[in-house]
Amino acid sequence: MEGILFWVCGGLMVFGGLMMVVQRSAVVSAVWLIFAFISAAGIFALLSAPFLAVMQILVYAGAIMVLFLFVIMMLQGPVLEDDRKRLALPLWPAVAVPPLAVVVMIIGYVKRNGLTGMGGAVPEEFGSPVHVAELLLGKYLLAFELISIVLLVAIIGALALGKDERKLPWK
Amino acid sequence: MIIVLDTLAKILFFFVLIMGLVVVLIWMERKGAAFIQDRTGPNRASIGGVRLAGLVHPIADVFKLLFKEDVTPANRHKALYNMAPWLVMTVALSTYAVIPFGDHLTVAGRKVPLVAADLSVGLLYVLAIASLATYGVVLAGWSGNNKFTFLGGIRAASQMISYEISMGLALMGLILVFSSLRITDIVAGQGDLVLGFLPKWGVVVQPLGFILFIVAVFAETNRNPFDLPEADSEIVAGFHLEYSSMKFALFFMAEYAHMVVGAALIATLYFGGYQIPWLPRPLIEAHAGLILTLKLIGVAAVSLLIAMLFFRRAQKEKGKFGDARDREPVLGGGLWVLVAVAALAGLVLKPWTIGPVGADLVASVLQIMAFVAKVVFFAWLFIWVRWTLPRFRYDQLMRLGWKVWLPLGLANLVVTALVMAIV
Repeated sequence: MEGILFWVCGGLMVFGGLMMVVQRSAVVSAVWLIFAFISAAGIFALLSAPFLAVMQILVYAGAIMVLFLFVIMMLQGPVLEDDRKRLALPLWPAVAVPPLAVVVMIIGYVKRNGLTGMGGAVPEEFGSPVHVAELLLGKYLLAFELISIVLLVAIIGALALGKDERKLPWK
Repeated sequence: MIIVLDTLAKILFFFVLIMGLVVVLIWMERKGAAFIQDRTGPNRASIGGVRLAGLVHPIADVFKLLFKEDVTPANRHKALYNMAPWLVMTVALSTYAVIPFGDHLTVAGRKVPLVAADLSVGLLYVLAIASLATYGVVLAGWSGNNKFTFLGGIRAASQMISYEISMGLALMGLILVFSSLRITDIVAGQGDLVLGFLPKWGVVVQPLGFILFIVAVFAETNRNPFDLPEADSEIVAGFHLEYSSMKFALFFMAEYAHMVVGAALIATLYFGGYQIPWLPRPLIEAHAGLILTLKLIGVAAVSLLIAMLFFRRAQKEKGKFGDARDREPVLGGGLWVLVAVAALAGLVLKPWTIGPVGADLVASVLQIMAFVAKVVFFAWLFIWVRWTLPRFRYDQLMRLGWKVWLPLGLANLVVTALVMAIV
């Protein structure tokens, strides 16, 4: 059952990613990306990581992609003639690159670990919010806080870029 | 196999509840609006002269929308245009999977928890689905290829981003208090008492968080005073302007389904869900006979009172319309008398001698009824607010979301964390 679901989610994800790349319309591309993100959330759920699965939908499929769509629509306006054409050409890099990446990843994995099965049974609480929180606020606290500082810098940078230059506090 | 059947039954319960409430809410909205604006409201549609005070109107609506021509703009984006209404409806109907509508029900000796999917990350699931709800509206706005629908879609996107943050912050305070993301844990925690006499409801332990949350829910359901995406005085009908027939009906139904889900969330997270205040489940089971007897008597008394009000109205408004409508109050009063008679007839079965199996059933049914009553009340709150408050201006909406609600949410979170650390 899990195996079937894995292949369904994985297949849908690859398909969504592919469709995202070959679309001519930016809005439709974004919609396919959302589709791929939600399939990825399905894979996280199957890998007994419910917290990550929901976060994938909440943060990526929900918040970030709404913002993406918002920006695309703001810049582009209502439906363009191009939006109604089906696919972008040339297709071949889009079709060729993802399978290539998968093959490279498989070769890398096999070289390092041999052809044994992946991992064993996971502990009971693995991937639960409590487990993730213990790791993030315990073992990886420094990295976690540093990432938040990176985000803060990015926000301030965006503000500085977006604001009228003469009104910046350091000018 | 049996678990699959259980789950299907639970899904069906909520589906029927939502779809039934959608019909009732459309009626409630019209009659409520009429009541607030001091007019009569819809009372013309009838089946063979039976008008049911306007309850026939939703049926007329259904037939009208089903048989209407589906007019579509020529320059739409076809795929997204067709997908958007379904997306809105699907998302509206997905949230309830994690909302418990009762503690458990004993079926043939098995304890069945009354929640379709008891996720360990239930609260986050609610937020995740809420964040997906925008797509239908945004894509509907864009794919119609019309400036007004486009503005509606853009407004929906920015409004949702602004209010999702304060919604999440408000819920974080709740998570701190009940120290769980599992919604069943949160509801179970609300069965306790604080200070010995107040039910430990979310609204009691998180009053500010409740206000933040309820405003954010209003914004997320696109209901007045936050219905900027469809503000009819500014952008005609906003995102659903280019839709007609059943596609429009889907948007319309989704709005009410969102209301039901929003009401269920408010009731579950901040008003104890299925918990009856001061009546924890063991107490109900211990005194099931007494409670059932009192309840039957109470139902009989209340319905007799309502029947009397109806009859008084029939007396007062005699000959007001000069047609079949004059007999409506008599009909309504008669129905309530029937309810009272049925309740009193129930007393013949000696409900005070109920056994332990029956006691369990009584407790479950009472809790489900408490939950439904709360949901209906908060759905009415949505209608009440819509016809009482004027719409926000767009800049006011943004200012409230980012400059008032966000800092308040952060303050609420910090204060809650401090209190939790000290106590």
